[in-house]
Amino acid sequence: MRHITSEGLINYVEGRVSEREKSVVEDHLSACKDCSELKEELQSLVSRLREDASFEPPAELVQWGINLFQPVIRPETGGLPKFIASLVFDTYDQPMFAGMRRVGTPPRQLLFRAGAVDIDVKIEAMEANDRITLVGQVLSSATKFFDNTPVKLESHGMVRYRTQTNVVGEFSFDEVPKDTYHLSVDLPEGQITLFCVHRGNS
Amino acid sequence: MSASKYKSYTDPELVSMCLKGDGHAWEALIRRYRRLIYSVPVRFGFEDADAADVFQAVCLKLLEHLHQVKDDRRISAWLITTTTRQCLHLRTLKSRETTTDEELQEPEDPTINLEGLRLMAEQQQAIREAVQELGERCRILIRLLYFDTTTPSYDGISEQMGIPVASIGPTRARCLDKLRTMLRRRGIR
Repeated sequence: MRHITSEGLINYVEGRVSEREKSVVEDHLSACKDCSELKEELQSLVSRLREDASFEPPAELVQWGINLFQPVIRPETGGLPKFIASLVFDTYDQPMFAGMRRVGTPPRQLLFRAGAVDIDVKIEAMEANDRITLVGQVLSSATKFFDNTPVKLESHGMVRYRTQTNVVGEFSFDEVPKDTYHLSVDLPEGQITLFCVHRGNS
Repeated sequence: MSASKYKSYTDPELVSMCLKGDGHAWEALIRRYRRLIYSVPVRFGFEDADAADVFQAVCLKLLEHLHQVKDDRRISAWLITTTTRQCLHLRTLKSRETTTDEELQEPEDPTINLEGLRLMAEQQQAIREAVQELGERCRILIRLLYFDTTTPSYDGISEQMGIPVASIGPTRARCLDKLRTMLRRRGIR
């Protein structure tokens, strides 16, 4: 018995055959286990390849993801060292208590850590005017406060807002537009950068 | 360094380069895993806007957790877990916003088989990676035949690739056979 080539089977599974060819292939498949298995395998592969196109995110979304990195992590070009703070706690990741229903958008609380420095951040959304208030505190494991420390809020690669910490290391950005922000804290040891984002569904 | 060079780096190499400030390495990571990330909310049945929220949240999480995944040989497993959690979280939030107290007592949607979803996402990613390992001619042909949403005609493919229309079928068969062999070696059929 002469088997059907891969090309013939692919043409068949992709519907690129005439009625006569289709009938010939089907007759053969009903009698040939090897070709039948190969046809199943090719059909599954072609179907998965085609399906993958439906998982392509919009180009602007991919670009958004790529751009996340650009304003934050830059190669060192001299000056103070820069540290990326790691996120150690996020209320967004915490499950709600069973039976609780969310009413409005609750504040998002985050704790970042870079070396011996902790940065506590709370983001509260104001649904009425589509803005957020971002308050925080820069803390050290040593018994000192980071007072009069410059704090910047950057978005799209530009510094949008600036403030300074008070005597106990607290800072606040009131009612800034909802956006993806990078928060930088300029300490004498270097600049700490972290991500502060209002997430639409948080 | 060319973009194609970055494609050949392993996940730990790319993560390590990201942590040293290399934006191209980050771009390569996002491009490598964009479909994997987006496929999970799509399989959950989320609308485009919600799928986009999940995608953004996962990109952020990856950036926030680069230090933690730097030793992972493959971050696809981490991404699948993280994206699935994000989808479950979003689904819970949405159901709590819209359901009544009585409905809250209902169990979670049993139709979503998380293990099956993880397996599908892993296998789909393995297929993407196998395609990347094919020769350039096969990669381009597969992209044009199966990934290009504009579905170019054979004439269009012939023009773009500079090959006769008649050789598209045989070339496609050879490429799919190679791909099938590579996937069999990875235990995927």
